[in-house]
Amino acid sequence: MNCPEFERDLPECVEGVPSPEQQAHLNSCPTCSGLLLDLNSIASQAQMLSAADEPSAAVWNALEERLWSEGLIRRSAPAYLPAEVKPSFMQRWRAAWLVPVAAALAVVAVVKLYHPANVGDKNPVATQSQPQAQAPAPAQSARLKHKPALSHEDQQWLSTVSSRPPAQLAKFRSDLDQANAFIEDAQQSLQEDPNDVYMQQMLMNAYEQKQMLYELVVDDSSH
Amino acid sequence: MSTAKCAAKFVTVLTLAGVAFAAGDARKDLHFKVGKHPAISINNPYGPVVVKAGAPHEVVINAILHSDKVEIDQSQSHNRIDIISHLLQGADQYSGVVEYQVLVPADASLSIHSENGPVHAENLHGDLALEGGNGAMEVLDCGDGHVHVKTLNGPVTISNVRNGHVEVVSMSGDVSLNSVSGPYVAVNSNTGKIEYAGDFGGEGEYSFTSYTGNIEAVAPAYASIDVTARSSQGRVDSDFSLEPKHTPFYAKAGSYFSGTLGKAASSVKLMSFSGKIHLKKRQ
Repeated sequence: MNCPEFERDLPECVEGVPSPEQQAHLNSCPTCSGLLLDLNSIASQAQMLSAADEPSAAVWNALEERLWSEGLIRRSAPAYLPAEVKPSFMQRWRAAWLVPVAAALAVVAVVKLYHPANVGDKNPVATQSQPQAQAPAPAQSARLKHKPALSHEDQQWLSTVSSRPPAQLAKFRSDLDQANAFIEDAQQSLQEDPNDVYMQQMLMNAYEQKQMLYELVVDDSSH
Repeated sequence: MSTAKCAAKFVTVLTLAGVAFAAGDARKDLHFKVGKHPAISINNPYGPVVVKAGAPHEVVINAILHSDKVEIDQSQSHNRIDIISHLLQGADQYSGVVEYQVLVPADASLSIHSENGPVHAENLHGDLALEGGNGAMEVLDCGDGHVHVKTLNGPVTISNVRNGHVEVVSMSGDVSLNSVSGPYVAVNSNTGKIEYAGDFGGEGEYSFTSYTGNIEAVAPAYASIDVTARSSQGRVDSDFSLEPKHTPFYAKAGSYFSGTLGKAASSVKLMSFSGKIHLKKRQ
């Protein structure tokens, strides 16, 4: 099984048990295993939202009215179906409202993890004399689009500290993602210019940070 | 007041005092005789560790244990002393706290690991290795030894440290160096900002790198440096008029500067991926 085939069957895997074929692919592909991990996390978070958090009927009615007025939905179900058999548009959507919430959670999680408040420069790069400098660097763009996948070692490391309190675990994960993002950006920059001695140094520093993270957290876990 | 009432009050007071003593902090004082250049290791998951220079040939440790869920394991082997706060079943970040006040010979080498508590080292001349998760790390008035600090989130402050290697690795803790000089001074940070204030003395090599954290260095007009600053995606500024020099990388306009000041005795590299870099002139 390759990545596109796995992604095609991904909905069956989320919150479910992967087939042996899917599991074999997961074991060999950190990208897909990371993706599944994230989706399961989002799904479990969404389940924690109670029914009490559902917007009131007035909100749904107003939304329904607005969609009708804009011609995006039809007003009623076919007349030959009794109302109790054919659920209305809003009734169906009340059951499915977690989908956009989960999507929003995913977007927020990605943005928060990969663009924290103090990250980067809010201002444009200083005095530009070359037009090509205006464009965002490919590495940074890539980093914001998708989070670095967890390697097998990363997953093992996280499992060794899984007994820690959730807040600590989240911080470990955040630090790990930051270290991985640093490594990924430095590697991408080096692909563009392999002779960049300073970026080589940055890459070594990124690995040093990740090594420190491994050491300190595991040391602390041994107490 | 009757004798019976007096006796009852006396017993009550005694009982309450006993309960208070049992529930309160326990103090433990340790003394060790050592030779020259002793090596002292302290591993304390929770609570502060303060180490200062004391009498030669003697290590004095005053520890306050916040509960009976933590105990102190101690061992001495020749000139090496190991101290561990041993967390017992049920210990947490409150009951596991031990506060250390330590006096060591000034030439002692020190290794301190603290998961959450702050660490302070002062007036020492041996090598220092400090590791921590969230607590603040502070090194003050030290020299002639190497200073290595590793932290995840705790801030690091190093002040008035001379003539030794200084190496700091931080994930998100801010790093502040004030009057720090030596043959090798390096800070490697991920998101934490790096601040340096000093003259880059010692004909040394200074290397400050970050991933997203900002870097700010303040130097006097008389500083003698060969400086290169580059940020791949952040702004780079210098208050100095530098003599231009060749750089070994493709120079994207506006995101780097490179040049010399004075006799260029020390090498200074300020590198960030997306943080801002500012070399300021001290007023």
